[in-house]
Amino acid sequence: MRDLKHLIYFEDLLQEANNELVRKGKEDGNLCLGYTCYFMPEVLLDLPGCFAVRLRAPKCTSPDMASYYMSGRTCHYGRSLLERALEGGFNFIDAQLATETCTVTCRFQEHLEYMDDVINNATFKTSFTDVPFKKNANSIDHYRKQLKIKVLDFLAKEYGVDTSDEAILKAIKINNEVNDIITEIGNFRKLDNPTITGYEFSVITLVSMVCPKYLIVDKLRETLEELRTREPDDKPNFKIKVLLAGSENDDPDFIKLIEGCGALVVADRHCYGSLEARQHIDIREGEDPLTAVARHYLLTSQCARFMEQKEMRHRKKVLADYAKEYNADGIIVESNKFCEYWSFERMIDTIVLPRDFGYPVCSIEKEYINTASGQLRTRFQAFVESVELKKIQEDK
Amino acid sequence: MKKPDLKKLKEVDFKKAAKDFVYGKPHGERRLGDLYIPKTGLYKHREWRGIKDTMYYFNNIWLYNYGMIVRDIMVYGGGPKGLIQFLKGTWRYRWMGQTYLTVMHWFDRCLEGMRGETLAASAWHFRGIVSACLYQITGFFNRDLNIGGDPALRAKTIGTDETVWGGVIYPYMDQGGYYLPTQMIPYFVTCHCNNHTVLNYIDAVQAYGLPGDPCPMCQAEAGIYIEDDVPDAYVAMVTTNEACDSSVGTSVIQDWMMNKPLFAMPQVMQFDDDSVLENCAKEIEMAWRFMEEQTGLEFHWEELKKHIELQNKQNQFEREKWDVAANTHSYPINGVAQALYRIFYSQYGERPFWHDVDAKVRKIMEKCVTEDINTFPMTRHRVIAWSCAPLYYSAWCTWAYNCWGLNTIINMDSLMFDLDIRTDTYENCLLDIAKYHEWAPMRRMAVGGLQHIFELWENMEKFNCDMVMMYDQLQCKGMQGVVGLFEDEFRARNIHAIWMPHALPDKRTVPRSQIRQIINDYMFTVMGEEPLDPSLLDFDDIDSW
Amino acid sequence: MKKKAKKKKNKAVRFVKKTLGIAALAYAGLFCVFYYDLDGKLLYYVVEPFMKNHFDNMERRDPHTVPYEQIDSEYMK
Repeated sequence: MRDLKHLIYFEDLLQEANNELVRKGKEDGNLCLGYTCYFMPEVLLDLPGCFAVRLRAPKCTSPDMASYYMSGRTCHYGRSLLERALEGGFNFIDAQLATETCTVTCRFQEHLEYMDDVINNATFKTSFTDVPFKKNANSIDHYRKQLKIKVLDFLAKEYGVDTSDEAILKAIKINNEVNDIITEIGNFRKLDNPTITGYEFSVITLVSMVCPKYLIVDKLRETLEELRTREPDDKPNFKIKVLLAGSENDDPDFIKLIEGCGALVVADRHCYGSLEARQHIDIREGEDPLTAVARHYLLTSQCARFMEQKEMRHRKKVLADYAKEYNADGIIVESNKFCEYWSFERMIDTIVLPRDFGYPVCSIEKEYINTASGQLRTRFQAFVESVELKKIQEDK
Repeated sequence: MKKPDLKKLKEVDFKKAAKDFVYGKPHGERRLGDLYIPKTGLYKHREWRGIKDTMYYFNNIWLYNYGMIVRDIMVYGGGPKGLIQFLKGTWRYRWMGQTYLTVMHWFDRCLEGMRGETLAASAWHFRGIVSACLYQITGFFNRDLNIGGDPALRAKTIGTDETVWGGVIYPYMDQGGYYLPTQMIPYFVTCHCNNHTVLNYIDAVQAYGLPGDPCPMCQAEAGIYIEDDVPDAYVAMVTTNEACDSSVGTSVIQDWMMNKPLFAMPQVMQFDDDSVLENCAKEIEMAWRFMEEQTGLEFHWEELKKHIELQNKQNQFEREKWDVAANTHSYPINGVAQALYRIFYSQYGERPFWHDVDAKVRKIMEKCVTEDINTFPMTRHRVIAWSCAPLYYSAWCTWAYNCWGLNTIINMDSLMFDLDIRTDTYENCLLDIAKYHEWAPMRRMAVGGLQHIFELWENMEKFNCDMVMMYDQLQCKGMQGVVGLFEDEFRARNIHAIWMPHALPDKRTVPRSQIRQIINDYMFTVMGEEPLDPSLLDFDDIDSW
Repeated sequence: MKKKAKKKKNKAVRFVKKTLGIAALAYAGLFCVFYYDLDGKLLYYVVEPFMKNHFDNMERRDPHTVPYEQIDSEYMK
C-alpha cells in the first residue's frame, strides 16, 4: 500500500509527551490538562481554553527512580509515567485530572499531588474523581456528581475555565468530529483486505489523544480522505486477522510486532484503543450535556473493573461481537505485567471465548515497552500458525 | 550404665530449680527456641510456665477449648445431626479436614511465653475467634447441598465476599437470615491456623492461567472456587471491591465458578468527600432488595437497630481497650490476639459470642489497671504494625516480644471500622452504614488517598509507639506503590521502621525464618541491642503449620 | 442387714474411688498428651498426611465445564 501522507508526522508526535502540537496549544494560551484513564472524560478537558493530553511515557524502558518510589513490583506503565514526571517530562501539564480506577496509575497521580516538586509548574494541581464500578442509574448519578465537583468546579475555581452547558456542548462538538473521523478510518479495517494496518490505525488514534484536537483534526480529516482512495496490496500481506483486547497499550510498536508475525490487528479493545474512546457522544432528549457525558463514558466502557454480574458476563460477548464485526479470526488478550484487573479477565477470556464463542485466543502478558520481543514473537507466530491450520481444516 | 556426673549435680541450684518449677523461668532464661522439633514447629514438650500458668493453660485453655469445640459443634450444629454434618464436611473440604484440626497449635504459637493475665485475656480472644469459626463452619455444613444439608436453611442464606460487612444481614436475623462470608473460613482463617492448605488454592488458580503476580490473597480466594471447595450453602451472593483491583478480579472468577445470582455492592474508593455517601447508601439498599428477592425475607428495621446498638457497644469497649493500650502498661492482650479478634468481629458483625468474650476480657483488664500490673514487663519498644500483615505469620508479634522485647501495641487493621453507627433514624443509620463500609480494611487506610496511609504518624503518637513494623506485602500494588514515600518520611521523621516483606498467605515467597532474620538484623545492627532469648533468633520451622 | 448395708457402702466407696482413680489417671494421661504435644504430633505425622492424601486424590469438578451465561433475575433489569 502507498504510505500515508502524514504517518511520519504522526509518528513524530508520539515520540514525546510534550510534542510540537502540545507546545503550540500552550502557546495559544490554552491550559494543558493531563489524564490517564478513559474514565476521566477527555471531552471535559477539551472545554474552551483547555485541551486534554492522555499521558504516555514513550521510550521509557528503565524506570529506575520510579521503582524506588513504587517498587519493581507494580505495573510498568504507572512506573514509567512517574519516571517521566520525575525526569521533568510532564512539567508542561497545568493540572492532572486523576481517577482512582486502577491502583498503580492512581498511585502515580497521588505522587504528583503529594510531592511538591515533581511537576515544575506553578499552576499545577491535581483533582481526583471517584469512578463507580457499575453502570446503573445510581452509578451514572454518582459519576455525574463527581465530574461536576472534581472536574468542572475544580477547573472553574482554580483556573477560571468556562464550564457552562454551552462550553460543554462546544467540547462535545469538537470531540465528536474527531471521534467520527477515527471511527470512519477504523471502519476500513472491516474490509476483507483492509486498506489500513493496525499499526497505522494505532498511531492515528494515539495522536488524537495526545494532541490538542483543534490542531490535529485537519490532518486526521485529510488522512481519512486519503484512505477513501487508498488501494490495498493485491495480495494480502497478513495470514490472519485478530482483535487485540486487554489492558493498557499505547505502544504502536507492539502492534507492529503482532503484524510482523502475520496477524493483522483489525480491532482494538484495550486502554488507549479506539473502540470505546472514539464513539460518538449522543445527547438524549431532555438530557443536560454533563449527564450525557457521564452516561456515555460509563456505558461505553468495557473495562474489566465493572462488577455487575450481567456486565462481567456481557463483556465477553462484546469481544466476540467485535471480532465478528471486524472479521477477526482470533483474539489476542494481553495484560500488562502486574495489571490485576486484566490478569483475572485474561484468564477467564482464554477459556470462555474459545469455548462459548468459537474464537481462538492467544493469551499473553507483556511489559509497557516491549523491548524483549523474541518470546512474544514466538508466541504470536505459533498462534498465527494454529489459527491458519484451523482455517484450513474448516475449509476442508 | 553411665555414671551420674556428681560434680554437675552439685552445681545445680536446687532452690532456683524449685523456684522455676513453681513460678516458671523468668524472661531471658526461658530458651523457648529449644522446645521446637526442627522443621515441624512441633514442641518436644510444651512450655513449662510455672505451676499456676501451666495448669491454667492445660485446664482453662487446652482442655477447655477442646471441650468447647465439641460443645460448639453440637450447639451451633443443632445436636447430633450437626455432628454428622460436621464429619461429612470434614471429609469433603480440604480447608476443614486438613486445616482446622490443628487449632490448638495456633493457640500455642500465639501464646508462647505469655503469663498470668496476659495469657488469660489473649486466650479468651482466641476462644472467641474459634467459636465464631465454628458458628460459620456448622453454618456452612448444615446448609451445604453437596453433603446433604438443609435446603430450607440454604434458602435464607446469602453468601458474601468476606469483605462485605456482616451487618448486611442484621435486618433479617430474626427470620433466620444467615450471612456466610464465603472466603473467611475456607481461606482467611486457615492461613493463620495451618498455612499448608491455602497453597493448594493458589496453585489451582495459577494452573488455570492466572499469573503469579496478583495479590495472593485474591488468588487463593479465586482458587477455592476453582477447586470447587466452597460449600453450596447459600442461595445468592453479594460481592464487593474490597478494596483493590485484584479483589474485583476475584469476583469475576467467583461469579463464573459459583454460577448463582450475584449482586455487586462496590463502595467508592475516594471516600473523603461526603457527597459519595449517598451513592454507597443506595447500593446498600439495593443489596438489601436483592437479598429480599432471593430469600423471601423482609426488612425489619427494629432488628437492624438492635444489632447495631449491640455492635456499637463492642466498638465502645474496643476504644476503652485502646485507651488502656495507649496510656498504661497494663494492657493484657498480645499483638496477635488483639489484631485477629478485632478484624474478625468488626468484619463478621455482632454475635453473642463476642459479648461473652468481651465481658471476660473487661474483668481481666480492669484487674490489670486497678492493680497496676505490668503485663509486658520486658517491653523495650512499643511497636505499631502498619499495612497488611503476613497471614502465615501473624504470631510474629509473640516471637518478637519473646525474642527482642518488641511489644506490638496496635496495628493498622484494628483501627478501621472505628465508627458508632447512629440508630436515631433510618436515614442516619443508612449513611453511617455506608461510611462503615467505606472504612473497611484496606480501603480505610491503604487506598482512597495517600493521606489515609499516612495516618500512621498520628496513630504512632496516640499509642505512644517508638517503632514501626512496616508490613511489605510484595504483591499488594497499592502498598508497593508508596514504598518510596514511606522511606522518605521515615527518614525525615527519624523513625525506626523495619520493613517486613511477605506475601500474605503464601509462605513460599518469604519464609518465616527470613522475616525473623530481617528483624534480627535490624535489632543487632541498627538498634545495637541483644536478644532477650537467643534461642529464638534462628530456628527452622519451614514445614510448620 | 447391717452387714449388707456396710457391704453396699463399701461398694459405693470402691466405685467412687475407682471412678476418681480412673479420672485421675485420665487427667494425668491428658496432661502427658498436652505436655509432650502428643496431639500435635498425632495430627502432624498421621492425621494431616492421611487427609492430604485423601484430598489430593479427590475427584473434582472440571472448571471448564461450568457454564457462563447470563443469569436472568428481576434485579438485573
